[in-house]
Amino acid sequence: MRAQDGNKRLRFGAIILAVLIAILFPRFAPNQFYVHLGTVGCLNLMFVLGLAIISRAGQLSMGHAGFALVGGYVSALLSMKAGWPALLGVLAAGLVAAAIAAALGWIILRLRGVYFVLVAFSFGQIAVLLALDMSDITGGANGIVGVPPLSLFGYSLASKPDFYPFALACALATLLFTWMLYRSPFGDRMAATAENQRLTESSGVDTHATQVIAFTIGSGIAGMAGALSVHYFRFISPDSFTFWESVSYLTMLVVGGSAGAFGPVVGVLVLTPLPEMLRATQGLQHIIYGAVLVLCLLFVPEGLSSIPRRLSQRYRATPGPDTSTPAGTRR
Amino acid sequence: MSMETILAQTVVNGLMVGMIYMLMAIGFTMVFGIMRIVNFAHGEFYMVGAFMFAIFYGSYEVPFALSLLLAIVTTALVGLVMERLVFSRFRGNELNGMIASVGVALIMQNAALLIWGPSPRSVPAVVSGVISFGGIVFPWSRVVVIIGALIAVGLLYVLIAHTQLGRAMRAVAQDAEIALAQGIRVEVIFPLAFVLGVALAALAGALMAPVLSVSPFVGLAPTLKAFVIVVIGGLGSVPGAVAGGLLIGLIESFAGTFMSAALAEILQFIVVIAVVLLRPQGLLGRKEREA
Repeated sequence: MRAQDGNKRLRFGAIILAVLIAILFPRFAPNQFYVHLGTVGCLNLMFVLGLAIISRAGQLSMGHAGFALVGGYVSALLSMKAGWPALLGVLAAGLVAAAIAAALGWIILRLRGVYFVLVAFSFGQIAVLLALDMSDITGGANGIVGVPPLSLFGYSLASKPDFYPFALACALATLLFTWMLYRSPFGDRMAATAENQRLTESSGVDTHATQVIAFTIGSGIAGMAGALSVHYFRFISPDSFTFWESVSYLTMLVVGGSAGAFGPVVGVLVLTPLPEMLRATQGLQHIIYGAVLVLCLLFVPEGLSSIPRRLSQRYRATPGPDTSTPAGTRR
Repeated sequence: MSMETILAQTVVNGLMVGMIYMLMAIGFTMVFGIMRIVNFAHGEFYMVGAFMFAIFYGSYEVPFALSLLLAIVTTALVGLVMERLVFSRFRGNELNGMIASVGVALIMQNAALLIWGPSPRSVPAVVSGVISFGGIVFPWSRVVVIIGALIAVGLLYVLIAHTQLGRAMRAVAQDAEIALAQGIRVEVIFPLAFVLGVALAALAGALMAPVLSVSPFVGLAPTLKAFVIVVIGGLGSVPGAVAGGLLIGLIESFAGTFMSAALAEILQFIVVIAVVLLRPQGLLGRKEREA
């Protein structure tokens, strides 16, 4: 008991320290590029957490970037053509993405998981194609340039150092929300649905509704994060959020681990700077990215965040012969 | 141009595109039916097939039929390597197998980008001129695609329906464990089915190479079509893939000619949603037992 108490305090301290480091990060970053990378990391964390929530309920959305694209266009158009404040546009973006996900999810999630994957992927592709084809609204392949920056209580967040704290706050809020969601009774229903849908259904849980709600929440987060990044980059085009963005969020989720709320943090921290570090390899970077994904699936299928737990389990398991399982079955 | 000519050409275009989609969808649905892997890299094999054909036929001027064969064989070899290195390790793990296929797609597309560069290359036409039939003219190049695809589907039908190997493949698709108990060498059927699926994708890419241009990015669009068709036709159903492929090809051609490309995309998505709502097992699929 004591040890566990201390463990909890240690973990709490580590989280506070990590948040402090994240807040003070721009102060000791060597130049603005690192601040930019930090902002991109915060936005990535929101995308990956959205994907993690969907996967917590046992589904995999290969059209995640499609919802980001929809959100991005909604907010960009509302703030430019209708003159809405950018922050309101971001909220609207989240709502529109969530509404589409709810309608789509209600229809497809009645089928086996594979169909969901196929239709979600198709949605992402069609969102890109529509953005290209409906050029009188979306500007076609050229996209929309000069999207207004976010402003908070009349204070503009146009510069990189100003945007970073806001992005961090949004990412941390999403992380806290995800953590609380996982610990709530609804979180238990999500996890149970993923574990064994039929058994969960027969214990009186509406697994269809559970998955639809998870998909709605996760896609809504993607829509908001997409809108935020459009106001940060001040630009959106059909190329902003393609299938390959969905792939990169998925890679971060797999590499970090999707079991808890903190797996995505690990994945984002490892994989956001990776393309920059590999820039010198000239085009090999995406190949390495793909290889990391496959190797991770083969050797650490539960993600990097599972390593400490696995190690401590092994450490605990070594002393004394384990009588509960036959020798051959132990890993 | 008279209305009949436009109509006839729209039908021929729809059939041609539909045939290509059909080849893609058959390969995809076969690999899923037998190996239970949703292969996101399927379109990348289409891309490799198109490049191989462009190299043999365009650069080395190998005769057409031989180029086609060489493109299929080389791409199938790439497929075999991928199956051995990656896919065989995820047997029985639907989710991770699918994610791994995304990694394979990422690797293949960027390797192609590194080797062949980003700029699209065109392949010389196989035949030129037009064929005139009852006063209506069609370009020969499109008719060649249709004939090539028809021959391939005919051969595939014979293979699946009338050979020992085809029976074994159908048995594994129905129940791998029982098939194993009946003495079918499942560990041979898996890579064979995968390579066969890859070969169909490669054929589709090679046939389309002279009609469209070839670049490392051409694989994603046919993958999307294969997915749409497979949902419409029923996952794992080969007749469903045939019917769905032709349907989507014709929708695309007609909506593209008489309305707009954007409308064609929306229409396809609406068909998908309608099928899922009204006939969840797909047009020609059978109700699937939940595993």
